[in-house]
Amino acid sequence: MKIFSQQHIFGYSWEQVSSANWKKYPNEMSTHVIAVDVLRREIDPETNILKTERLLTCKQAVPRWLLTLVGGQEVSYVREVSEVDLKKRTLVLRSVNLTMNNLLFVYETVMYKPDPTNPTFATVFNQEAQITAFGSFKRLCNKIEEWSVDRFQSNASLGRAGFESVLNKVTNTVHEGESVLEIMTERVKEGVFLKNKAV
Amino acid sequence: MSASFAPQCTEKKKSYDNCFNEWYNEKFLKGVATVNECEDTWREYEECVQSALAEKGIKKMLDQAEKEAPFKKNGVLTGSEEVSFTKDSKN
Repeated sequence: MKIFSQQHIFGYSWEQVSSANWKKYPNEMSTHVIAVDVLRREIDPETNILKTERLLTCKQAVPRWLLTLVGGQEVSYVREVSEVDLKKRTLVLRSVNLTMNNLLFVYETVMYKPDPTNPTFATVFNQEAQITAFGSFKRLCNKIEEWSVDRFQSNASLGRAGFESVLNKVTNTVHEGESVLEIMTERVKEGVFLKNKAV
Repeated sequence: MSASFAPQCTEKKKSYDNCFNEWYNEKFLKGVATVNECEDTWREYEECVQSALAEKGIKKMLDQAEKEAPFKKNGVLTGSEEVSFTKDSKN
């Protein structure tokens, strides 16, 4: 298993970031996410925590050598469970891939919370992904895990720039209707604190 | 607004999303919401999406994921250490 983690601070309030989270897709930076569906949504009457289950549909983005080995699929699916805790001001999202998980299993946890040094105007983004490749051949598994690391890194600067620009748009037009708000970007993948642990 | 994976559900999803996003910004974030107020649009969208999930065989995969990372437990993967992000204060 390999673990990736990173952190970033956005110069927007937690409320702005959490609101933008629901309007991320589609956007020009993450064209691989082609659909987002809400499967379940509950608000806890006691804690007021809002829980949501979503299905993300992605165009497959695996290298050709891997597709040759495992057989290609047009789309892949990711299931995400999130909780918004207004009292603690946290948004936590946990995701797993539903397809090809006999080969590669990715469990991702993301948390957004106010920046302790600037809680009104800045939000800390934390991400950790645990990536496990399964198979009989150790060298192949290592190669798949390495490829997954590369994917995280290559998405980095693009994702960050996109999220910043979208937050800017959302913030400036929050009362002007949905059209601009639709432009949201992919979960940020800039490797600020990239940790690469082979287990 | 993002599309549904099932094209026939996209319009219903848009109606629901519009309702939800307004509720989220105007009620939930302001701390005055106790119930989700988008029941009508939700029911239509949910019905559409659930039947499409079964049709396309995605339901089975979701059921498996639910076993491994239950909604009740906020999607925390069973047997996995919960990520706490304790070392998250920067600089």
